[in-house]
Amino acid sequence: MDKQYIDKMLSKMDKDLSSHGMSRRDAMKMAGISAAGIFVGTTSANAEEEKIVKSDAKAKIVIVGGGLAGISTAARLTLQLSDPDITIIEPEKDSANYQPGQTLVAAGIWDEDEIIYKRDDFVPDGVKVIEDRAIFFNPQENKLTTEKGQVVTYDYLILAMGVQLDFERIKGLEEAGRAYSAGNNDKLMDALGDSICSIYTSQGSTKTWEIMQKYIAQAKSASPEKKTKFIFTHPSTPIKCGGAPKKIIYLTNARLKEAGARENAELTFYPNGGAMFGVPEYHDAIVGQFKREDIKYHYRHNLIEVDKENKIATFDSKWQEKGPWDPVMKDFEVIPKHEKLRVPYDFLHIAPANIAPREIGESDLGSAKGWVPVNKETLQHIRYMNVFSIGDVAQVPMGKTGGSIRKQYKVLVDNLIAHMNDTKLEGKYAGYTVCPLITDIGTVMLAEFDWTVKPTPSFPLDPTVERWIFWLMKVYALKPMTMYGMMSGRA
Amino acid sequence: MQLQFELVSYDTVLDKFNLDETMYQMEISDEDAQTYEILKSSDMNLYNWLKESAFFLNYICDEVYPNSKSKKIAISDINGITYRRFYFFKVTSSDAHYAYFKKFFTIFEESDWQDREEIGDEILAHLSVKRQELIFDIECTPLV
Repeated sequence: MDKQYIDKMLSKMDKDLSSHGMSRRDAMKMAGISAAGIFVGTTSANAEEEKIVKSDAKAKIVIVGGGLAGISTAARLTLQLSDPDITIIEPEKDSANYQPGQTLVAAGIWDEDEIIYKRDDFVPDGVKVIEDRAIFFNPQENKLTTEKGQVVTYDYLILAMGVQLDFERIKGLEEAGRAYSAGNNDKLMDALGDSICSIYTSQGSTKTWEIMQKYIAQAKSASPEKKTKFIFTHPSTPIKCGGAPKKIIYLTNARLKEAGARENAELTFYPNGGAMFGVPEYHDAIVGQFKREDIKYHYRHNLIEVDKENKIATFDSKWQEKGPWDPVMKDFEVIPKHEKLRVPYDFLHIAPANIAPREIGESDLGSAKGWVPVNKETLQHIRYMNVFSIGDVAQVPMGKTGGSIRKQYKVLVDNLIAHMNDTKLEGKYAGYTVCPLITDIGTVMLAEFDWTVKPTPSFPLDPTVERWIFWLMKVYALKPMTMYGMMSGRA
Repeated sequence: MQLQFELVSYDTVLDKFNLDETMYQMEISDEDAQTYEILKSSDMNLYNWLKESAFFLNYICDEVYPNSKSKKIAISDINGITYRRFYFFKVTSSDAHYAYFKKFFTIFEESDWQDREEIGDEILAHLSVKRQELIFDIECTPLV
């Protein structure tokens, strides 16, 4: 772990704590986190010394994707194999960015350089890197081809290339194309212009803060009768960090209040779905927070078009009507209805549709929807037993967060090594994920859950309550745990 | 104990189920009644038990479809427990059926953000496989 960084982080946290009349020890005690746990994200209850047993199994392992999932997996493999032969294929030098920090950058709490990390600083010793994009997969012959034409063979393949952000499906933003979170997104920034933003890329988070400040200033000089309109969307696809579209609403709300401009602003959320969260307890909590903060919301609206010149967002607005009686099913049918709704905006934040990279969907490795179909517990491909997948691209329910990856990568490594040793795959991912839902500057609701679709709190505290201690954890502890704990294969 | 049940027949050419409108009734032994009581809280376990039980298949051959050869059928209802949704689900079916299948096929949280039609298509894709597990062939020996 980078001692200089930790010292700086602790110093900032102590200052924050002392302004609330609290010591670090008291704060950790309050949250049920052990002194060591703050760095690795474990509670005192479940923290345990980990004993890593090395395997002598040998195989050529290729990992496609050098983000959090790919690098954490590579690091873990180097810990668990006595003679690892691992290659990462990743075209972006900045692929190791700390994406959970993008919301904080977008609200001016962090600078972009606090989340930019170089891939090569985290690639474990002995792991080879091919700086290229894998574009053609031939799993029948255990090989793939890169964009530059290099043919790479493997014994085991791990797919960890994340998702693409599909802005081009929105009419009016066709020129934006598809983007990844990291890397150069100048084309996307140009296409979005100066009133539309998205925290889903590193560059976009900085731009969001610039645009947010501009419209907060406009709101300051507006009036309650002619409010500045802030519009936020949530798409019709699974997305990475499903809480992010709401976090940016809360942070915009916080900055407006701080500027004394809240009453001159109208914040409206247009999600495609019919609920705020898949877990009823968190849904109810969020609805309560929206009411408290006077944030409006309209379910079942999908952004399909933007008119940048006239600042109009067009949504596919959906509702259902009672249909005819079905005598066989002994129930009334439901008839879906659609209409286009044009909504004027001043500030528009887009959470784009997330899709699997095209090259996966078009290969034998992808499902009909493009994702990599894996056994959701073992993370092994359902057809190719020497292929595993992890993170955003894996077809795993509720799995598109860093918190999910943290639980997945050790399972994947255990199972891959078990397969190499021709033994039973016993590692099981149980669907755990976590969303530190920032509800204000200084408070976070730590939404933890798994496939039971019930809250699964790690701390002995009501998980639906917004807490300052979880803000401290989000702002100070999660980044070192991720960048130095997970990326070294230990946290 | 009496078992009341209804059946559907499967048309392989049209890939379509047809409801047999008759309600059948049969007496089952005390031992089978005990098994029924244990399994009735799990609709799939109950279904699979009957599908594999000689007494049930014999009753169908003797009383329901005598002389049938290679008839493909499935159970649509047993004592008020319905399986009709497995054969007749449509994208326009009511929310109760969506809720059942989202749980049954473990279609999770993301579905809350997706369009109903898309989830409906996903359920239908799962059902195309599941239906084949539910269908069973009736090979009845012709009565002499």
